[in-house]
Amino acid sequence: MIVAQEKPLEEIRRIIEPYAQVLILGCGTCMTVCGAGGEREVSYLHNALRVAEARSGNGTHAFSEYTVKRQCDTEFLDTLVDRVADVDAILSLGCGIGVQALAERFADLPVLPGVNTSFMGMAKEQGVWDERCAACGDCRLAETAGICPITRCTKGILNGPCAGTKNGKCEANKDMDCAWVLIYQRLERLGQLERMRRYYPPRNFRTIARPKRIVSKARIDAGEDNA
Amino acid sequence: MSLDMTEDRGSAWVRQARKPSPDHSLVPPCQAACPLHMDIREYVDLLAQGRTMEALHVIREGNPFPAICAYVCTHPCEDACRRGEVDKPVAIRALKRFAVDFGGDRVTRVEARTDQDDKIAVVGSGPAGLACAYYLRKLGYPVTVFEAHSQLGGMMRVGIPQYRLPRDVLDTEVHRLTQMGVEIRTSTRVVSLDLLCEMGYKAVFVTIGAHQSLRMGIEGEESPGVIDGATFLREVNLGLQPSLGESVAVVGGGNVAIDAARTAVRLAAKRVTVLYRRTRAEMPASPVEVQQAEEEGVNFEFLVAPTAVKRRNGLISVTSVRMELGEPDASGRRRPVPISGSEFQREYDALIAAIGQSPQTPEDFGLRVGKGSTIQVDPLTLTTNRAGVFAGGDAVTGPATVTEALATGRLAASRIDDYLHHRYPAVVSEGRDSPLGALLPETIEVIKKMSRSEPPTLPADARTKDFAQLELVYDWEVATNEARRCLRCGMGAEILFQDKCATCLTCVRVCPYHVPYVDASGTIQIPADQCQACGICVAECPARAIVLRKPHDRRHISEELDHVLRSAAETRSKPTIVGFCCQYGLYGTGALAGFWRGAKAGVWIVPVLCVAKVEPDHILRAFEAGAEGVFIAGCGEHCSRENTAQWVQQRVEKVRSTLEQIGLEPDRLQAFVSGDGNTDLVGELDRFSDRIGTLYLTSMILQEVGS
Amino acid sequence: MPDSSFEERLQSDKFLVTTEVGPPKGADVSEMVHHVDLLKDRVDAINVTDNQSSVMRYPSLGGCLYVKERGGEPIFQVTCRDRNRLALQADLLMAHSRGINNVLCLTGDCVDVGDHKEAKPVFDLDSVQLLNVLKTLESGVDMGGNELKGAPRFCAGASVHPEADIIEPQLIKFDKKVAAGAQFFQTQGIFDLASLRRFMQYASRLDVKILAGIIVMASARMARYMNANVPGIMVPQEIIDELATAEKGKGLQKGIEIAARFIQAIHEEDLCHGVHIMAVGNEGIVPEILERAGLVGVSP
Repeated sequence: MIVAQEKPLEEIRRIIEPYAQVLILGCGTCMTVCGAGGEREVSYLHNALRVAEARSGNGTHAFSEYTVKRQCDTEFLDTLVDRVADVDAILSLGCGIGVQALAERFADLPVLPGVNTSFMGMAKEQGVWDERCAACGDCRLAETAGICPITRCTKGILNGPCAGTKNGKCEANKDMDCAWVLIYQRLERLGQLERMRRYYPPRNFRTIARPKRIVSKARIDAGEDNA
Repeated sequence: MSLDMTEDRGSAWVRQARKPSPDHSLVPPCQAACPLHMDIREYVDLLAQGRTMEALHVIREGNPFPAICAYVCTHPCEDACRRGEVDKPVAIRALKRFAVDFGGDRVTRVEARTDQDDKIAVVGSGPAGLACAYYLRKLGYPVTVFEAHSQLGGMMRVGIPQYRLPRDVLDTEVHRLTQMGVEIRTSTRVVSLDLLCEMGYKAVFVTIGAHQSLRMGIEGEESPGVIDGATFLREVNLGLQPSLGESVAVVGGGNVAIDAARTAVRLAAKRVTVLYRRTRAEMPASPVEVQQAEEEGVNFEFLVAPTAVKRRNGLISVTSVRMELGEPDASGRRRPVPISGSEFQREYDALIAAIGQSPQTPEDFGLRVGKGSTIQVDPLTLTTNRAGVFAGGDAVTGPATVTEALATGRLAASRIDDYLHHRYPAVVSEGRDSPLGALLPETIEVIKKMSRSEPPTLPADARTKDFAQLELVYDWEVATNEARRCLRCGMGAEILFQDKCATCLTCVRVCPYHVPYVDASGTIQIPADQCQACGICVAECPARAIVLRKPHDRRHISEELDHVLRSAAETRSKPTIVGFCCQYGLYGTGALAGFWRGAKAGVWIVPVLCVAKVEPDHILRAFEAGAEGVFIAGCGEHCSRENTAQWVQQRVEKVRSTLEQIGLEPDRLQAFVSGDGNTDLVGELDRFSDRIGTLYLTSMILQEVGS
Repeated sequence: MPDSSFEERLQSDKFLVTTEVGPPKGADVSEMVHHVDLLKDRVDAINVTDNQSSVMRYPSLGGCLYVKERGGEPIFQVTCRDRNRLALQADLLMAHSRGINNVLCLTGDCVDVGDHKEAKPVFDLDSVQLLNVLKTLESGVDMGGNELKGAPRFCAGASVHPEADIIEPQLIKFDKKVAAGAQFFQTQGIFDLASLRRFMQYASRLDVKILAGIIVMASARMARYMNANVPGIMVPQEIIDELATAEKGKGLQKGIEIAARFIQAIHEEDLCHGVHIMAVGNEGIVPEILERAGLVGVSP
């Protein structure tokens, strides 16, 4: 799941400043699950902006709110045509993909991000999310006991822990487990420590050359080009 | 709240092979158990909110004579109450008594118009007859009640002792029938149904009760000094003072036997002994009554059965045999078997035989009777073998409870209505709805235990002197605290908008009762029979896909808030402070009453059904509408749930950080908790409103300076 | 044939002494040069740190040039934090070209502990991979497999953490560094000789030289600060207590005493092949420590 965090209210107020009529648009998928941009947050932000307007004494903005099933597919965005007819901008609480999908779909409308898209991860507990995947395009979890050193080690190193680990925690954050200690412990439990003794050569960063695109095998076989 | 994914617990919920009951049409067990199918959950909840008059209104909807039931109902609801699985059942009957006494029932008037032509006769004025007359009048029929005795009420008048049912209560209820325009013919014994037909009655409801005591069938039963229980109670209740002497034996183990024994105590008998052929465990009488009888000095001899009675020298000499319990009989109770050679003799001044009663239906009625002389009816339609003649109550069932009789009377009224309108009797669903299932052990474990409060009773030595009512009524705070024990079964959360649900598992993770779970298809289920309606998932669901059943849903708070904001805008007293206060704590238990009464002008209270249901949006809306300060006051240790304050605090923190970003002082929002050793709530609120006042003045001055 | 005088000494049985200088924050190198002059003839080699603790400074390679210029033996500390594989290889080529052949290959601290917390952490390579890069370059090709015009030669070093509380993964990594060609190791700060003994039991089977890292503490406060903020360092309580016994203003003196005691013990017990003294900003006291440890005359 994609995880995001709400932007500071001041920043949101600054970026919507030029637009009189703003649609606050939530996303019913990842942003709902991570609590950053579902219907509840949309409503909360809407209310917060209204309080801010009311308190500033010179409220000039009008807001509407809606939450679409998923912002990152234009077919879902087609249903918004009527809702955006009178607005001057869309404040999207979708992830960065949603914002861009909206921008592509509504060519004449400014689309503004209301959240900071942060990472791909999972809930550790209610209200706590941890990054788990960096989409490096070269998954080596088979070698590391299912624990990703690219995302969970602050340095993303491949050949074992650095010397900064203390009490099994990372030097960058004392609350964060050292990924390599975790990998070591789990490999030992699985009887696969030899995987850690292997030398792993430097990463191939071509796998993250941007922008990435995947074309399904079926389409390639059918002669579709890659454009 | 922490949910460590590395433990197996999360997936255990998925694996759990539990049968979900998301069906919200299931009725609470109390309602399913009530013969009248009363909406108990609703009125108990209203009582918990301190809304006594509304509670009484709900009670009156479902019960023609709630005051009577408040005294004598055998409360099968309490036996079914799921609170009993946690600690002890909610004291529903005593709460009804509180509602009747404090809700102004005595001044309640019941009106009825006549808009039907067909006259109907009700023969007998026991609870079944009176209920039937009541509902027929409500349907607009002219009704005549015939009563052989001089006063209405049947067994409620001549059977139940006054200390259990004060006669002014009975009179008030009965008087309502007159108010409604029921024609009353007391001291009128109906001897022929044909005659009623000739008088123009188009339908008759025969409800003549079961007043004929069963005979013991032993030698000497006819001796002077031997009296049957029903006759004895009738005489006492009709104002006679039968002289019993000093020592009295009562034979039997039912409620009539206990009533007779306790009545004898009140008639100054020195030694009263109940003889029962089985043991205490098999006694059909209510255990509370048995216990109260013992408190009043009644002796019990178990496993004893009289075999012969002889009058000698002005005394009754009773020969008894000792019994032992053998194999279970048809009723499931173990059959008492005489122990040969165990006969013994005792002497008493009087012997009261109370081993049961049967109806005594005049042969001239021409009604088919069956086992135990009961009138045979179709149980669904209450029709007898005679067209237009319906029957119900003890005359049909044998001795039963007042509440069951009331239910029969109500049914009879609707059946008679069907009959007179040539309608096929509609199948009524009431009482047939499935009750919610039992609580799971893991749910029970996390429900806060709250001890049951019994209403006070007169001390034993004070109550044996006369027939004064012995149970007193709760005081306000005890009653509402007792009502708060209600689990509000089935009022819980449901995912109303499955299309919005993102399966984010927030509900699964935040539920203090671990109720929501993921089913095998990956769908979130919130079993209605386990949900405790705390509302935390509703307030936390990021998709706002979950709702609580009314009146606990978020609209309730929004509407109350709108109302308050409108009122505040009208009065223009500044600065406006909006407080979300627990309705239970405010008006129910009164834990917060002093808090809001001590509040200054400009403080507006939004009563909410537990502050855990207040959402950050509600708070922001108050600020948007011009509130200078907002506070939330919950009940703390009085709350029927744990950790409410923690959720409130979490939301307060969220809104505070937003306020700060808007440029408002975060301390404009404050959460208060009563109890937990906090005695100076009023002072805290004072300081809070002072602070808001200062902030308001400052902003006014700054505005002046600015302009 | 050894590529440096330090490598030559590594191959002897001599008890080795290295120390380090931290380049300045700024373009004025006079103090560093002063320290180099002070130390160059008293120790076997001088490390020059590489943006130590992720604090931006005068570069390590620049510092090494000064050491070389002043007639000392530099050890070029290289971390993977700030440069990708192109920059790293380029710097290594330059180092070799200027006679700087001792390279200490380090992963580097994370940027969060330093003074440019917003910087992009590079970590294109890790320390083991960097050691391999040295071998690759020595073989006459670069990491891309392209032939080099002139292959460099290096004396490769690495670090190891004998006092890590979870030691096993550190030992695995140590083995990998040895396999990748590390000839000498300068350990993280040693505060407990027992853990060094245990480590040497493990390491002595391998043909590498181990120099025990000795951190000179200036006060109890500094020790506590390092425990809280410096990656991997765990100063035991008894040492903090001992530092705390020092009179006000005499903390460094106490630190010198402790460091000298450790060095002396290591030397006398012949625990490992030498020591690496980290004076952290007090480079001027290194001669006194050596004197107190009885190592004057041991080194050149």
